[in-house]
Amino acid sequence: MTISRFALGQPMAYPPRITAFTRPFWDGLRNGIFQSTQCEACHHISFPPKPICPHCWHEKTRWVALPVTGEIYSWTIIHAGPAAFSAELPYAVGVIDLDNDVRLACRLHPTAPNQKWACGMAVTMQAGLADNGVMLVATPR
Amino acid sequence: MPRAAIIGTGALPVGKYQTGPEAADQVVEHELLATLVAQALADSGADKKDIAALIMAQPRPYTRQQYFSTFMAAYLQLPCDAMVMEVLGNGLTAALAFDKAVDEILLGRAQVALAMGINMETAISARDHMMESMRKTGDVDFHTPAGFTPISWYAMDAMRYMHEYGVSRAELASVAVKNRRHASENPLAQFRKPITLEEVLAQRPIVEPLGLYEVPPRGDGAACVVVASEDYAKALGKPYILVRNRSFHHEGVHQIADKRSDMIGLNAAHKAAAQIYQNSGLSAADMDLAELYAPCTIVEVLASEATGLCPDGQGAHQAVAGETSLGGRIPIATSGGLTSRGHPSYATPLYNVVELADQLRHRAGARQVRNARLGLMMNELGNYNAAMLHILEAVQ
Repeated sequence: MTISRFALGQPMAYPPRITAFTRPFWDGLRNGIFQSTQCEACHHISFPPKPICPHCWHEKTRWVALPVTGEIYSWTIIHAGPAAFSAELPYAVGVIDLDNDVRLACRLHPTAPNQKWACGMAVTMQAGLADNGVMLVATPR
Repeated sequence: MPRAAIIGTGALPVGKYQTGPEAADQVVEHELLATLVAQALADSGADKKDIAALIMAQPRPYTRQQYFSTFMAAYLQLPCDAMVMEVLGNGLTAALAFDKAVDEILLGRAQVALAMGINMETAISARDHMMESMRKTGDVDFHTPAGFTPISWYAMDAMRYMHEYGVSRAELASVAVKNRRHASENPLAQFRKPITLEEVLAQRPIVEPLGLYEVPPRGDGAACVVVASEDYAKALGKPYILVRNRSFHHEGVHQIADKRSDMIGLNAAHKAAAQIYQNSGLSAADMDLAELYAPCTIVEVLASEATGLCPDGQGAHQAVAGETSLGGRIPIATSGGLTSRGHPSYATPLYNVVELADQLRHRAGARQVRNARLGLMMNELGNYNAAMLHILEAVQ
């Protein structure tokens, strides 16, 4: 399933580093592909993607598509943040369980002013594109 | 095998000591710390020449003097046959200093060992401090770019706890009121003026649902604990505190696992607590009081449940009912805890030792727990997923 993309509209305040290994993940988001690594031996899916399986330490993993839908496990709105993020305050972040039970944590992207968030709320993953990076976000479904 | 005992303590009242570059008179860490070390040694009655180890919590990066442990060994003219070192382990840092000092005794390498720490950070603004601390929680490339801060993870624990157990924010906030009442009787506490629940709920939000009084204040502090072999402690002829048992667990998780799991069970704390009760033959019900490393109200609730002091889902209710207050069934954070005694992070666990040492030597004044004999200390990392427990026992 493809992940929808939108223009972040501003540079990322603290962009991630891209490695030769994680480049397929970040380039994938730019191209509408949401993926991570799966162990070729025990089939454990990791997030973030890893060059070895963290579960069985097998050294071969392959890229597999992730579902773009899931639900909020928990969330908060940050009102006091680091200097780099001052201009974005307040902003919401959350822990997301994807439909295949993979867990990740990301920015929550509102679709309305005074957006309400809740544990258990259905969300869709999206990729916010900026010149200096890609921000993975979850938005209400 | 030797057993280890706490024989002396010294601590600075938590407050704001760090000077900015404009101050004519600068405050430097080693001067504050050296004074405390001398006080702690005087409290213990031990002889300086018997000290063989100095274990130091690594100071904040803002401390200009580096190689601080060997520098202090020189500043104090303290030759050591055992170990001189700095330790670092997130919020566990000062607990590790204590635990490694205990190791030096248990290994038979020292008759007396010092654990100390100083945390100076208040001249650095919160927004600048967070530029560093945001890199410590979660994955710096996969979480930090979203803007997570250390306490945002605790806030998410609070949201989930409220969701799962139907607990209100006001019930969580009652922990801050209770701990301020405790702090009002603690001369080491940063904030001592009692507060009401209404005042707690009226504070500006920091990380929802938590407001200013439900998250840790910024503070500077320093503490020193003198540890000795039990034989040495006995020979001093005074009450001492036996380090009866200890345990540790790290979950192999940093913030979140990569698959669906329970975040509010504090799994590491749960496992380490089960381990210490099994090894000691004691249970949560045997404890007379507890000092828990709880930067936010929610953390005290989760930690009280993970250690079995309160049943799962009942930690907040029991705090409201006064069961965890002074005079209650199991007093928690008689010091005032991290929200009121204060949270000079890399020294905080040593303040937990100091509080239990005062309580178990029956010199805690108006906040004394009557007949306190067994104290539980847990220093843990919340969703950085490690926990270290100690059971301390009063020996008269």
